[in-house]
Amino acid sequence: MRKTQPYAFIMPSLLLTLALGVYPILWALRYMFYDYPGYGSATYVGLDNFARLMRDAEYWNSVKNTFIYAGGKLVLTLPLSLILAVILNKAFRGRQLLRAIYFLPTIISASVMSIVFFIIFNAYNGMANQFLMKYHLISSPINWLGADYAMLTTILIAVWGGVGNYMLLFLAGLQGIPNDLYEAASLDGANAAQKLFKITIPMLGPVLQMIVMYAITVALKGYESIMVFTGGGPYGKTDVMYLYVFKQFFPISADTASMQRFGYGSAVGFASAIIVGVVTALYFYFSRKMDKIY
Amino acid sequence: MTSAKILTLVPRTILWLFLLLTAFLMLFPVALTVLGSFKTNLEVTVGATILPKVWQFGNYSTAWKAANFSRFTWNSTFVSAATTVGTLLVTTMAAYAVDRANFFGKRFYVVLQASMLFISIGAVVLRPQFDMMIGLGLQKSLWGVIIILISAHASIFFMLIGFFRGIPRDLDEAALIDGCNFYSVFWRIVLPLLRPALAVCGLFVFRGAWNEYILPLVFTMTRPELQTLTVGLAGLRYSIGSASETQLMLAGACLSILPMLVVYIFANKSFMQVSAGAVKG
Repeated sequence: MRKTQPYAFIMPSLLLTLALGVYPILWALRYMFYDYPGYGSATYVGLDNFARLMRDAEYWNSVKNTFIYAGGKLVLTLPLSLILAVILNKAFRGRQLLRAIYFLPTIISASVMSIVFFIIFNAYNGMANQFLMKYHLISSPINWLGADYAMLTTILIAVWGGVGNYMLLFLAGLQGIPNDLYEAASLDGANAAQKLFKITIPMLGPVLQMIVMYAITVALKGYESIMVFTGGGPYGKTDVMYLYVFKQFFPISADTASMQRFGYGSAVGFASAIIVGVVTALYFYFSRKMDKIY
Repeated sequence: MTSAKILTLVPRTILWLFLLLTAFLMLFPVALTVLGSFKTNLEVTVGATILPKVWQFGNYSTAWKAANFSRFTWNSTFVSAATTVGTLLVTTMAAYAVDRANFFGKRFYVVLQASMLFISIGAVVLRPQFDMMIGLGLQKSLWGVIIILISAHASIFFMLIGFFRGIPRDLDEAALIDGCNFYSVFWRIVLPLLRPALAVCGLFVFRGAWNEYILPLVFTMTRPELQTLTVGLAGLRYSIGSASETQLMLAGACLSILPMLVVYIFANKSFMQVSAGAVKG
């Protein structure tokens, strides 16, 4: 009797996880070998979906965009949030308020803010262009959502939404660094930059490694705000791989063929998960050094 | 002024300029949204002004009634509240068993939850999940969305495990000696002590459910009466035509931001505590 009690307590969690977490993955692992248009029956096609994936220029374009997007987001977000965290780790007046302000974007829905940013960056009557033209900073409207700038604008919005979160994660990591080290460094005449590179970053070690790894996977998997902001357009310039997966199952936007492809979509989802896994593993391999600090 | 004073003053000024500029960039889009929601459409689209000339409070009643935001707000509230209660219940029970008991398969369960954190095949899972809800007859209500949101509870589970470690086991043992059993220790000892942690985790779950977009979008594509604020707002962009009713979209955006904003103003420390707790592990 006693032995069954713990099972009663994990049962709801276990059942939900198996039914809605594990089963869908098994479903995808099966149907990626099928041609399944969403109605009627599925036909087994072996590796056809993967052969098609290899030739699918649209998918590889989305993979390329995913790396541009993730790379751009990380290169801007991580240093900025680390610098903010280092500054806010010292006690001074206004620190709590600044921290609350930087963290504010993370409590707001990404999809709602994407709509607002669409209104702001709209080329034809967006607020960004209105202000820039009013103060004569630009002479003609910038096409923020056009082919040239769409990816940059998308990245900037992702940075806006992400900095606060990583700042907080870094702050938590910084708490673990003893203050003596900084005092000793100050006595030896170290400046702020030296303290950052010689004490803060090495001492963050494993925490930094975990945060960066988390940031990489989040950046590679994100597509919600892009879906609302640009829908992957114009001309697939901001199409990312998980958005491409979504479109195979729910072709809602105007610029995709309105065909559901469950089998092919499963293969695309599987391939994308593998790509994320490989990138994470590579990062883990090359960042091992950070772990050996102690 | 001595040169030594200037030497400390200049970097300090640059530092503050940097901090304030960043703060401005963080707040500006939110401020534009709030202020824009009180403007006329013309002011929003060509005005280039910060403050509205005349405060158009009517935008909100139009959004609330004509654009159906009362419905969306109710749906969002319902989904978020039910998801929060359900997730907390499921995860506290599981975390209690895993932290306080030894049983066969415990390691399997923990590894399963950990792998749920990392494996993601994207929108693929929505299809079998949707089919399953049709099988259960739950696609006609928001319960399908709620159950799926509750099922994604791995991160909350690990957060709670962290909090459980802070509750001394001596208390359990004392209670067991006094005649409590595995169940009553949970209800009478652990849950009351866990209250602050539950508040913090609840906030986290609520925010996630309130801001969720893709899941309710997929489930309510053919049922506009079930749409949540995030989905309804995005739909407005196509239905009314963004060029003509921008101010209503901003009012709608404010309606969906505002509840979280109010909670954040009062509980921002709790919000930050959760995110920070994630790395402390």
